[in-house]
Amino acid sequence: MRFMMLMIPLGYEAAPAGTMPPAEAVAAMMKYNEALKEAGVLITLDGLHPPSMGARVSFAGGKPMVTDGPFTEAKEVLGGYWMIEVKSRDEAIAWAKRCPASDHEIIEIRQVLEMSDFPADAQQAAAGFTELQARPAP
Amino acid sequence: MRFMVIVKADSNSEAGVMPSTELLTAMGKFNEEMVKAGVMLAGEGLHPSSKGARVGYTGKERRVSRGPFGLTGLVSGFWLIETKSLDEAIDWMKRAPFDGGAEIEIRQVFSPEDFGEALTPELREQEARLRAEGARN
Repeated sequence: MRFMMLMIPLGYEAAPAGTMPPAEAVAAMMKYNEALKEAGVLITLDGLHPPSMGARVSFAGGKPMVTDGPFTEAKEVLGGYWMIEVKSRDEAIAWAKRCPASDHEIIEIRQVLEMSDFPADAQQAAAGFTELQARPAP
Repeated sequence: MRFMVIVKADSNSEAGVMPSTELLTAMGKFNEEMVKAGVMLAGEGLHPSSKGARVGYTGKERRVSRGPFGLTGLVSGFWLIETKSLDEAIDWMKRAPFDGGAEIEIRQVFSPEDFGEALTPELREQEARLRAEGARN
């Protein structure tokens, strides 16, 4: 089963543009990433610049409306994620527990929808989706 | 530049309501266009938060809570896209077949260069290797 581990750094919603994690945190996290990789669990991972450098698009009545960051009303925003392959949610939780996260960080664990989770007619409509997902080699 | 497009959860996605064939068809067409333009790198949907968990960190202590979680800040899916600018990412996402007040958030992904000297040559090499080997899993 694939799970997404969503890193939620509390306070990141107000971080100024260009905010970067400190070197020690990067080094500790790389050690953890290495452990995930050695166990054959890691599929991919990314970190995100603060919301102040981003934008939101909302679709009321199908009409797109753009709002530039920061999103002051937001309480929880994403700081990054890991995509992992494990046998169960419990295994995903066990991996999240090992993360060298700090007091102001939360990791949310969410199962990824697989094509087989969709009903047959929907699978047909989404034919070719798996091919779309193939990520070009870096 | 790589961007993550975060699709916000709503009461339907949290209730486990699967998208209609009509929406899946429209979304498939949109994805196809992004792939043809070399923009789309990945895209996934997530099961409702009721099937998920959260872990909080205080020193060595780990607090696990099981879903469901409140809608605030909750995610239901994402795309990873590659464009030349935030504006180009916004232009692409304006074309997404959403409706009914749906909202997405567009965020720039860190690249190794962004870390400057904090990412030592050793860490940079390790990072590149993790990425290459992870992609093969």
